[in-house]
Amino acid sequence: MSGAQPPRPRGVYVHVPFCARRCHYCDFSVARARHLPIGDYLAALEEDLRQWFSGPDDACPVPIDTLFIGGGTPSLLGVDGMAALSDLLRTRFSWDADRVEWTAEANPNSLSVEVAVGWRKLGVNRLSLGVQSFQAEPLDWLGRLHDPREAEQAVRTAIRAGFDRLNVDLIFGLPADVRRSWSQDVERAVELGVSHISSYGLTAEPRTPLGRWVDVGRVRMPGDGRYADEYLEASAILVAAGFEHYEVSNYARPGHASRHNWLYWDGSEYLGVGPSAHSYLDGERIWNVFGWDRYLQAAVEGRSVREGRERLEPDQRRLERVWLDLRTTRGLDPADVTGPVAQARLAAWRAEGWVTDDARPRLAPAGWLRLDALAAEVAEWSDGGQSSGIGSRD
Amino acid sequence: MERIRNFSIIAHIDHGKSTLADRLLEHTGAVERRLMKDQVLDSMDLERERGITIKLNAIRLAYQAVDGLEYELNLIDTPGHVDFTYEVSRSLEACEGALLIVDASQGVEAQTISNLFLAVNAGLEIVPVINKIDLPAAEPERRRDEICELMGIDPDDVLLVSAKTGEGVKAVLEAIIARIPPPRGDPEAPLRALIFDSLYDKYRGAVPFVRVVDGSLRRGQRIGFGAGKAEYEVGEVGYMRLGYKPTGVLHTGEVGYLTAQIKKISDTKVGDTLLDADDRATELLPGYQEAQPVVFAGMYPSDSDQFEELRDALERLQLNDASLHYEPETSQALGFGFRCGFLGLLHMEIVQERLEREFDLDLVTTIPNVEYRVTLTNGESVRVENPSRMPERGRIETIAEPFVHVHIVSPAEYIGGIQALCHDRRGEYTTLQYLDSNRVEMRYDIPLAEIVLDFYDRLKSISRGYAALDYELAGYRVSDLVKLDILLNGDPVDALSVIVHRDESYEYGRKIASKLKELIPRQLFEVAIQAAIGKDVIARTSVKAMRKNVTAKCYGGDITRKRKLLEKQKEGKRRMKLVGSVEIPQEAFLAVLQVGD
Repeated sequence: MSGAQPPRPRGVYVHVPFCARRCHYCDFSVARARHLPIGDYLAALEEDLRQWFSGPDDACPVPIDTLFIGGGTPSLLGVDGMAALSDLLRTRFSWDADRVEWTAEANPNSLSVEVAVGWRKLGVNRLSLGVQSFQAEPLDWLGRLHDPREAEQAVRTAIRAGFDRLNVDLIFGLPADVRRSWSQDVERAVELGVSHISSYGLTAEPRTPLGRWVDVGRVRMPGDGRYADEYLEASAILVAAGFEHYEVSNYARPGHASRHNWLYWDGSEYLGVGPSAHSYLDGERIWNVFGWDRYLQAAVEGRSVREGRERLEPDQRRLERVWLDLRTTRGLDPADVTGPVAQARLAAWRAEGWVTDDARPRLAPAGWLRLDALAAEVAEWSDGGQSSGIGSRD
Repeated sequence: MERIRNFSIIAHIDHGKSTLADRLLEHTGAVERRLMKDQVLDSMDLERERGITIKLNAIRLAYQAVDGLEYELNLIDTPGHVDFTYEVSRSLEACEGALLIVDASQGVEAQTISNLFLAVNAGLEIVPVINKIDLPAAEPERRRDEICELMGIDPDDVLLVSAKTGEGVKAVLEAIIARIPPPRGDPEAPLRALIFDSLYDKYRGAVPFVRVVDGSLRRGQRIGFGAGKAEYEVGEVGYMRLGYKPTGVLHTGEVGYLTAQIKKISDTKVGDTLLDADDRATELLPGYQEAQPVVFAGMYPSDSDQFEELRDALERLQLNDASLHYEPETSQALGFGFRCGFLGLLHMEIVQERLEREFDLDLVTTIPNVEYRVTLTNGESVRVENPSRMPERGRIETIAEPFVHVHIVSPAEYIGGIQALCHDRRGEYTTLQYLDSNRVEMRYDIPLAEIVLDFYDRLKSISRGYAALDYELAGYRVSDLVKLDILLNGDPVDALSVIVHRDESYEYGRKIASKLKELIPRQLFEVAIQAAIGKDVIARTSVKAMRKNVTAKCYGGDITRKRKLLEKQKEGKRRMKLVGSVEIPQEAFLAVLQVGD
């Protein structure tokens, strides 16, 4: 940041990089810790925030609409930790308790009644539980710490504590030899009364135990067919149950869509603190040092905790925008689909039922299954992406 | 004239032609041995920098013979590859003799024989030389018998040499003096000089290399050509010896270069007669032919924005390669490009490599093909250089294709495999002859189109690399040929059409279709692949559509990482050609070449 203008994000993301155990498929910034080193962590965040607000005119606090405490396992903060974190954030940001969307993530096995009730009292009003499945074999195979009973218990606890805005993460596309009924998991989440479901396909990332198992042939990832079937199955079940499939991976009861995540998708500004956190401010994408140890060290020594930043070229900006617009029900800006080739492609997708046509072409579930290819095609085959003024809308 | 000797060195590849040439340079004091390597290399680097060809077209040596007299020896280089047979024959035409080099361990090879025939046809005195006698595997006596058998000469006429150690090199120089006759010609007659080579120099323009047959060539003289209208004033004449050595004049029988600010190398055609513009000789030197391309392929820029760059690059290449033909062509599949004509496959590879390396172009080259001569039912005849331009079946009376005389020299143990290969490639057996107890020379007539694909590679793999191949054009013959089209999702892809023999068309169609299935990646839509002759589909298969292409994870607002993945995906699309609704990778356009695998 130049320092001349204070950042004016609409939302803030805080990364809590600690887990009691790392799941087999996880490649996020996570350090193993049974007990969260709260002192070091808050001190590092304080330095991170100081670096954001180093300009002479950076009057605080900055009003924000959304706050998202993600991880990692934020529930390891407990109530006191969350209170301390909240106090720290309030030195820089302000929010209206009635209007803010304040989400925190929790692991089913560390969401005690005390934490749920305590957080709710602090003002956390949206909870996101890393459930993944309500069945024993998949939970075990994924290396999760909780069992089916704890998963259901956590959902009930959250609801009783007053979290009417409640998300569960469910993972699909597990190998065929893991015994699991995907539709039962989706239906169970509906029955338990959650208002939001994020459902992600399992990916074997390099540098994870799962990635290595796939490399050596110990695990065989399922084919496209299974992935596609489960994806469409979830969409059908949830839409029938009254959820809106409002983003490629997200479903919500009307009015319960994640406001914070929308900031990522619609090009709004957001600010991230904590290791690996990303920000988008003033047309620039900025990201922090990835690992906790290096992040802490930089913060302790007063060095920058930023690792990289980039300003996008017009064609990069167009590619991002096309991809982000296609992710949600918002759909494409017709101005981004130019030239006969891209138009012809769009017509072909429409014929396949992948695109439904409102004023802005948007993807149907079958189209979301092909999101990456479609985004790359629109960006590649639309002419003038680099040369004409069309790409420089914002 | 009595003390001039004009000669070349002919040999199979790697039999030591250039080492012997180096040794001759050194023995005649053209360069000091100690400095030789460096000097030669320096000169080459310099020439390369100046953008001219690096070969020594003709070099003049001064040799003090044992008879006490000084002789002028002109060593004329020959291109030495089958693609350039005509150029070789013109170079030989400028000589009175040739050193025929045979490797003492490898013996007579295919190119040895074909070059020997060319030299004998040119009426040259042949001095056989067995080289590399220093090698442990050398069998000079056996090779000597082989050569005597081949040429019908006395064993004493065969020289034994090690160009590497220098042994026998003196005897070679003496044999050149004693056995190769001096040039003949009429110094008083009007100028006639044979152009046997030509290069393009950025500063001097086209530089023809000539053998003065009659009369003399002087600075300031006005010159003309037998095959063209252009006239020029000679700026400089001279000879080469690690650089240009101007002399002001070239007399009858001499060999050298001239410059005349000639803009286009196509004015100085190899084989043409150079004349005095003010005193034109009535009769031209015999044997001039326009260089005819025999192999054709479409060359297209991968990135259509590079069309102009490709055109400029071809123009510049043609400046020093008059045998490169090209004309603009449009393909539905590949867009704007050029149909290029080459002297052969090596020539095509050289051009392709130079375009990609020197001009930094990324090219899609279509399957090479030959030129067909088609007689139509209405009696008209047309030449077809591009399979997709083949007239409709109903209008065709006959299709003729070029054949070549092929000679293959191989260890006898591979006869069976080679016969099978030749038979497979529609070859017609001519002769089989044992060169010695375990090596044979086989001759076939084979359609050039069959050689153009992967014949050479197959031959090498059948014979574990031992068989050698040479061929010469043998005219056109009518064959039962059909055009095979490839259709993707029902649309013919012009760049994938091929002409094949009817008997092979079904198997061919099946193989191409299944090769394309391997090469075309799964896409959003199913891709139906069909091979068809006219309206008859003879093979079909398909690439199933992908059911998903998404990884929707995106945590904590990390858009950057995902965008980079998408950029790669987008970049991948750029390397594909979009034909109708199908994305075709560039390798697919050469799929037919891999059908034999």
